[in-house]
Amino acid sequence: MKDAQVLRSVPRAINWNRLEDEKDLEVWNRLTVNFWLPEKVPLSNDVQSWGQLTPEEQTLTIRVFTGLTLLDTIQNGLGAPALMGDAITPHEEAVLSNIAFMEAVHARSYSSIFSTLCSTKEVDEAFRWSQENPHLQAKARAVLETYAPGADPLKRKIASVFLESFMFYSGFYLPMYWSSRAKLTNTADLIRLIIRDEAVHGYYIGYKFQRGMETLPQARRDELKDYAFSLLFELYEIESRYTEELYDPLGLTEEVKAFLHYNANKALQNLGFEALFPDEAAEVNPAILAALSPDSENHDFFSGSGSSYVIGRAVATEDDDWDF
Amino acid sequence: MLDRLSDDLDYHALNAMLNLYDAEGNIRFDADRMAARQYFLQHVNQNTVFFHSLDEKLDYLVEEGYYEAEVLAAYPKEFLRDIWAAAYARKFRFPTFLGAFKYYTSYTLKTRDGQRYLERYEDRVVMVSLTLARGDRALAMSFMAETLSGRFQPATPTFLNAGKKSRGELISCFLLRLEDNMESIGRGINSALQLSKRGGGVALMLTNIREYGAPIKGIENQSSGVIPIMKLLEDSFSYANQLGARQGAGAVYLNAHHPDILRFLDTKRENADEKIRIKTLSLGVVIPDVTFELAKRNEPMYLFSPHDVQKVYGVPFSEISVTEKYDEMVEDKRIRKKKINARDFFQTLAEIQFESGYPYIMFEDTVNKANPIEGRITMSNLCSEILQVNEASTFNEDLSYDHLGTDISCNLGSMNIAKSMDGGDLGQTVEAAIRSLTAVSEMSAIDSVPSIRRGNDESHAIGLGQMNLHGFLAREHIHYGSPEGIEFTSVYFATVAYHAIRASNALARERGQSFKGFETSAYADGSFFDKYTERDWLPESETVRALFERFGQQLPTRADWAALKEAVMTDGLYNRNLQAVPPTGSISYINNSTSSIHPIVSKIEIRKEGKIGRVYYPAAYMSNENLEYYRDAYEIGPEKLIDTYAAATEHVDQGLSLTLFFPAEATTRDINRAQIYAWKKGIKTIYYVRLRQTALEGTEVQGCVSCTL
Repeated sequence: MKDAQVLRSVPRAINWNRLEDEKDLEVWNRLTVNFWLPEKVPLSNDVQSWGQLTPEEQTLTIRVFTGLTLLDTIQNGLGAPALMGDAITPHEEAVLSNIAFMEAVHARSYSSIFSTLCSTKEVDEAFRWSQENPHLQAKARAVLETYAPGADPLKRKIASVFLESFMFYSGFYLPMYWSSRAKLTNTADLIRLIIRDEAVHGYYIGYKFQRGMETLPQARRDELKDYAFSLLFELYEIESRYTEELYDPLGLTEEVKAFLHYNANKALQNLGFEALFPDEAAEVNPAILAALSPDSENHDFFSGSGSSYVIGRAVATEDDDWDF
Repeated sequence: MLDRLSDDLDYHALNAMLNLYDAEGNIRFDADRMAARQYFLQHVNQNTVFFHSLDEKLDYLVEEGYYEAEVLAAYPKEFLRDIWAAAYARKFRFPTFLGAFKYYTSYTLKTRDGQRYLERYEDRVVMVSLTLARGDRALAMSFMAETLSGRFQPATPTFLNAGKKSRGELISCFLLRLEDNMESIGRGINSALQLSKRGGGVALMLTNIREYGAPIKGIENQSSGVIPIMKLLEDSFSYANQLGARQGAGAVYLNAHHPDILRFLDTKRENADEKIRIKTLSLGVVIPDVTFELAKRNEPMYLFSPHDVQKVYGVPFSEISVTEKYDEMVEDKRIRKKKINARDFFQTLAEIQFESGYPYIMFEDTVNKANPIEGRITMSNLCSEILQVNEASTFNEDLSYDHLGTDISCNLGSMNIAKSMDGGDLGQTVEAAIRSLTAVSEMSAIDSVPSIRRGNDESHAIGLGQMNLHGFLAREHIHYGSPEGIEFTSVYFATVAYHAIRASNALARERGQSFKGFETSAYADGSFFDKYTERDWLPESETVRALFERFGQQLPTRADWAALKEAVMTDGLYNRNLQAVPPTGSISYINNSTSSIHPIVSKIEIRKEGKIGRVYYPAAYMSNENLEYYRDAYEIGPEKLIDTYAAATEHVDQGLSLTLFFPAEATTRDINRAQIYAWKKGIKTIYYVRLRQTALEGTEVQGCVSCTL
């Protein structure tokens, strides 16, 4: 915190060659090579598949995506900027600004899906639904409280990790489910790009939380841990009700809840805490779990773009390379 | 936690277990086998239409207009019963879930509402065999035996369509030239629509199109270059698909010395503007030797206006060897030119490949030096394995042909190396394959694109491919890319080349006819055979010699080659082109093979396709005991892969789809070095560049097979 104050009083240029924490550069590099825009995914190849969903399935899908849009909007506009204020190193601040930007790209992506697959009326209805849905609003409010000015920086990180690593996943479940059923596979590619990003975001913020905890006295650590678990319980309550409302009609609620347990454990792991749910309760359908991994996917390149390409590091060739 | 294989899990979940280790860290091959079984129990058997007898079934399928009556009418009823009985007696079973799933979702004949299956795998194989044998009973039996045993697998368009009444074409792949005038461009787009509708992948050559800013009718700064044509083509391909069965797909090729080359590459940039971004069209770049020489000397490379080149030389840009005429064109004031740095060009190429996997590369001079046929090879196709000569068409004002040129089509099929070795008679399998592919060529007449029809009628060009090299080597405990692995590849491909030529020579004798242009080819004067009569292409190591011996394979000697040379010089060859090694996606899953002659991409491959979603596929013959032989392409690295391909390239008259694999931590320099190495080793084309990013520690999916390195 002292450094952050210094940063504010004496403006200091960021020097990436003087790292205070190697992790900042590692994550920066990862995030920058992972840069992408929704235009790269040929979403329009899903138009036919979209037409084969029932009206109920379509409504559910749009609603799930508006819910995700809301979370990304919060994280872009409030979450990441709030964390930037708490940054200990200028490099951390730079990484967080990248995170903030990518969250905006994610929010933008859902709109790309909407404009490709749905009518304006359907989308407007879903956005209205998202404003009126009590569970979704409760979710948003719970996180927003911790982001408020003057709030505890470490508690902010806890909420932020829960958002990145836990709260998104009730929504992510659906496109993964469709893709394991050969539906909306290009949309799933795009969501997988988002998941790829969120995994790194949650991991990094959790890592910074753990560094912050290291220097604290035991009493304060206990307090934060209690806070984390009680916030998770609160969020889990809301998330369960939200899940029931969305997925009951399709009979998927139990599976989605197992997926929530799995991700809640992951979020706690990111924060350096032990798992909350026993393995049996976090037994995710293998088709969904396997669908999460973005790498080494093999596809006929003619119908999709995949999620494994990255922006490469350009290095000029030397004379030796041309020795023939 | 996932240790119970319970009946309540559906086949998708069982299949996905392949990608998750069990508690002891073993790969769960049993789960996939159970997935295949459950798929039949829960889905296929319940949704297959039942018939009491073969006669009832065939009558129904013909009456309802599912099967082509003429195909069956060419055989006596008794024979039909025999061939079906023989097929079912072989007790075929799909060893993997993906094989079965892919077959039933994409190939088998379904009722018109798409809800019920009308064919099992054996039915499809028999129908394809009967169709291609055209009444020849012995040939039909041999096609059936080769296909059902897995030794030879026709490519998707043939295997999907043959014998069905409403169907697309049997041919896989088309290549079209575009010339520098609106008639040719318009014709080209129309042809792309027509061919795409019929189910082929189409590649178009843009090298001759005048560049951005070139004059039109003498007025400067008028031309918009190649990008708008690419946009038109991209939209055309997404509009036309084959009854929804296959996505339309296309590629465009451009010479590296075309002035629009950087714009062309930038269409695949991550941050490309929507107006110029190309999403689904594939790109290929034609690179002559001189570009490498310039980069070696770190000199600028000049780009030449195709419009001016055509005016100066009187032939299209593509017909000029840039390597040969480079200095001359640089000096020529009449040719407008642009200058870029050659090494920067290669670096840009690699940057784009990082971001998108494109472009493909064709090494122009290597390809033309190895071409036994008179004429120039100016482009390749959607999978970069077709390399044939073509000829420009010219048009009248009413868009009719002034001169009908030739364009390229190619039908493909691949041998399963492991099964063909097991079979003990490569000669017989190759001959059946060549006859099957030739039948497709003879049965095809694409009237909507006359230049394609003419090309096919005159050349009967075919492409025999190979797959399951890695699977075979691993099964035999040989590492991919090891000296023995490379030696095996060389001997195997030399043997296939021998039998392919032998079979085509036999066809020429039977038909009393050779392909057009045989007289001026390197086959006719015998020079093609020099390298086979001047040295042996037989095993040198004990391991490889023993391997061929164990499977009872006879290998052609120098004397055999000399005799074949005489026979070819006397009676000719029926097919202008014989071999081309495609990447084999779908058919290698059905056939339980590793793709093409590539190393595996992952022990458990994640396969995604529009129609089937995400499915998991174990490498052929892999078990928890022989995993060490299944190092994947990223671990094996580009050099061993290129060495293996170089050994095969030696004996393949067309090309081979070669994908390069890099970890995401690689740099553009690593890609450039691999390209230089490939070019130096005589590789003809490079297909995709693929990258694998390892998950950041702490963010990976727990216990996932494809994520662990």
